[in-house]
Amino acid sequence: MSTPTRTGRNVSMTVNGEAVDRHVDPRRTLSDFLRKDCGATGVHVGCEHGVCGACTVLLDGRTARSCCTLAVQAEGSEITTVEGLADGGELHPLQEAFWKHHGLQCGFCTPGILLTVTELLAGNPDPTDDEIREGISGNICRCTGYQFIVDAVRDAAEILRGTGTGTGTGTGTDPTR
Amino acid sequence: MTSQQLPPGLIGARTRRKEDPRLLTGRAQFVDDVVLPGMLEAAVLRSPHPHARISSIDISAALTVPGVFAVLTGHEVRDACATPQPVVWRMIPDQRMTDQYALAVDKVRYVGQPVAVVAATDRYVAEDALGHIEVEYEVLDPVVTLDDALAADAPLLYEDWPDNVSCRQTIPKGDAATAFAEADVVVTETLTYGRQMGAPLETRGAVMSWDPFTDHLECWMSTQSPNLTRDLLGEVLGLPVDHIRVRTPHVGGGFGNKFDFYAEEVLAALLSKRTGRPVKIIEDRLESFVANAHSREQRIEVSVAAKADGTITGMRGTVWAVLGGQLATVGIGPCWLSMALMAGPYDIPNVEATVVGVVTNRSPYGSYRGWGQPKANFAHERIIEKLAHELGLPANDVRRRNLIPADKFPYPSQVFYYDSGNYADCLDMAENAVAERGWRKRCDAASNEGRALGVGYSFHIEISALGPSKIMNQAGLQHSSFDEEVVRIDSAGGVTVRTGLSAMGQGIETALAQVAAHTLGVPLDSVTVLHGDTQTNPFTGYGTGASRGAALGGGALLRASTRLRDKVLRIAGHVLEASPDDLEIADGVISVKGAPGGPSITMRDIGDAAYRRLDGKLPDGEDPTLEERDVLDPDNVAFSYGTTAVLVEVDRETGRVDVLDYLLVHDCGTVINPMIVDGQLHGGATQGIGGALYEEIVYSPEGQPLTTTFMDYLIPTATEIPRFETLHMTTTADHIPGGFKGMGEAGTIGAASAITAAIEDALPDLTLHLARLPVSPPRLLDAIDVATASKENS
Repeated sequence: MSTPTRTGRNVSMTVNGEAVDRHVDPRRTLSDFLRKDCGATGVHVGCEHGVCGACTVLLDGRTARSCCTLAVQAEGSEITTVEGLADGGELHPLQEAFWKHHGLQCGFCTPGILLTVTELLAGNPDPTDDEIREGISGNICRCTGYQFIVDAVRDAAEILRGTGTGTGTGTGTDPTR
Repeated sequence: MTSQQLPPGLIGARTRRKEDPRLLTGRAQFVDDVVLPGMLEAAVLRSPHPHARISSIDISAALTVPGVFAVLTGHEVRDACATPQPVVWRMIPDQRMTDQYALAVDKVRYVGQPVAVVAATDRYVAEDALGHIEVEYEVLDPVVTLDDALAADAPLLYEDWPDNVSCRQTIPKGDAATAFAEADVVVTETLTYGRQMGAPLETRGAVMSWDPFTDHLECWMSTQSPNLTRDLLGEVLGLPVDHIRVRTPHVGGGFGNKFDFYAEEVLAALLSKRTGRPVKIIEDRLESFVANAHSREQRIEVSVAAKADGTITGMRGTVWAVLGGQLATVGIGPCWLSMALMAGPYDIPNVEATVVGVVTNRSPYGSYRGWGQPKANFAHERIIEKLAHELGLPANDVRRRNLIPADKFPYPSQVFYYDSGNYADCLDMAENAVAERGWRKRCDAASNEGRALGVGYSFHIEISALGPSKIMNQAGLQHSSFDEEVVRIDSAGGVTVRTGLSAMGQGIETALAQVAAHTLGVPLDSVTVLHGDTQTNPFTGYGTGASRGAALGGGALLRASTRLRDKVLRIAGHVLEASPDDLEIADGVISVKGAPGGPSITMRDIGDAAYRRLDGKLPDGEDPTLEERDVLDPDNVAFSYGTTAVLVEVDRETGRVDVLDYLLVHDCGTVINPMIVDGQLHGGATQGIGGALYEEIVYSPEGQPLTTTFMDYLIPTATEIPRFETLHMTTTADHIPGGFKGMGEAGTIGAASAITAAIEDALPDLTLHLARLPVSPPRLLDAIDVATASKENS
């Protein structure tokens, strides 16, 4: 944990539904804050310059690169990390679809992609393959070659729209839940 | 030879992966998630110069920064180490070794070479302190390119060497001189493969905790090779290996970059020894571009001698390896393999291939998925295309004429015995599939619209299942390459597999669970696979690379599980008063074959009989417990193979290439999980597409790396990558239990060859010669200009 200093600031935000109050250095990144101060180690840091998308979180419902955001900038916001997707012991339909379609290998990029897709499907519940590819083009996956991710997103979208064939376990219709 | 046709079951099933729920929910622990009490964090000061002498280092100001616990420099590191950084592949006995330490001692030889290291309360403070270290350099002329290094008046990286050549070796087969003298036609090509790297999305990292009272070292590392790492840490640090425990949490991609043994793990260990606290070191992305092993960069001169009908009678080649400022862990290994496999899948009686390792002021050259094979493939496939053009024959006709026939296996190549294959069938299957999908019609239709589409093919082989340890030792490997697996059934019938292989996203946990569950006849859910701890898991030689995990781990586990199954059946036979030969196991229940509803016993009962309530159940003469161990040190490596076909569109105005369709016909013997195999092929092909069109580590003429972010080093995203289609053949490896061949690197190997062929096919009015990778838009425009000018002049 970063040592409190005279220049430190208090920040308050909601992380996966829990209120968080901490004293942080102004230079502490949101990704470090979430990982080290809030225990949200599902936030992965892949490049620290905002290209790879592994650190993507939802900030007030919109995707943000937590490596290029300072914790103090997130003051008062509602943050969702990958830890906030599943409902108790039940995987989110998107997570189920990635599991079913082998949409991950090493899993390091996966949290960021899941949150990016959450935003994508909130705005476009029935995307074409090209729209899915465009939607995740700000997230680098070095393992999968993307095809099984696209398949997973298409399947999850169908289930979330309520038109799925019942192969997924999810029943919700609001992808942001 | 055993029959390798396994009955249908979990081996061959498209099961979901066991590792995924924790990865999908953020519960998986990666190395940066490891936090120990009192832990410090380290940062490395790296050389800003490609070539310089270190005149002085002043760390006094850095030591006064609040929160700094220790600063180390090169001389301290050299004094603290028993040996220099190790090189495990020593194929060329008289190779000049570079013998460098984890920090530069007197001289730096690449931008990014570690010069000093700081341990502080956290990474922020450690980086602050780096700014307070004063280093004076005497800057020397850099040796940036291969030609710079080979120039007669080149500055010397190692002043006690006569030149910048580390090694040279020629391996002949047959009589190439006669073949070339008697040839109807000889074609020659010089190829340049760009510098690239694996770039896993999780950078490298380590947490080291040295107990100053017992000299025991606890390590958490993002590595593909925990046993090798432990042995090498023991050598370098002068510790008995039983004092060293290496644990690998989840590994966020390896691709070879995490096979190698690096400076940072040594530095973190020494800092921990100095401070008495655990020390974490996590590389940032900018560092990863200079501190991870680079790969691929070679100049390859290749020529073939052929008859007028396209039969290749001889091949000559020279691989110029553009090594870095010091040797990485695998030394000349990958470049040596480019030389050793240059003839690829072709039955060429006379081959003479040479590798020359040349040092330059670039980052060290090490492992990246495919090792030397993408370059070897580029050499043999480019020269096939050129020969076909010269003879006016379709390239696949020339391939077909020269592919090793199925009845010639095992086939003695220049160095290796290829175990098995049906190469011609594989090529036919790809051609037929492309015809069925109408790619040529799409090209013709596009041509009528003024668009340029083209189809290209390549044929690749992939060495896998590495390998016979003694032969690898003879080849120069300073480690072994067998694999040991342990399988145990517990007192409640649950199955635990222990493996020394590393999980790095390739699904080895699921694949091994499938092998154990299939063989033992239990549900997949009842199998737990433990990995990633050298203290509690068995030994695997080498590491998890060379496409060896599924083949060797799968083979060893199949044998161990088969013996364990036999014991289960003996116990069941005793309890059921039946002959074990008359019993079968299905879904964890043992019963008499062909007697549904008859007496049965569960795996839970067997566990109970072997561990708890033995009396009356465990036969006399049987040991309590249910555990088997097996070591597989195979007689030979195994060769997977495949055909790649791609459809591309070329924009001749901009030089942009779009890959529209991608087909792989592949054979890796018995497939354990087709979904995982497809995922590996997709991912490998994507890295291959990156290497063919986008990815290159570029240095300025002054030796400064220019590509140190993902804005400059262009990894393909979803919009650059097409849908893939895969078709499978099965030619088993009959010397591996189960018939498995490895395939983790397959997709990377043939991509660039097929894509370059497709680009040339898309511009049939020009005679393009694509000889340099990646084929970036400016390079393609240049090639188009050259070909256009040559056409106008002719």
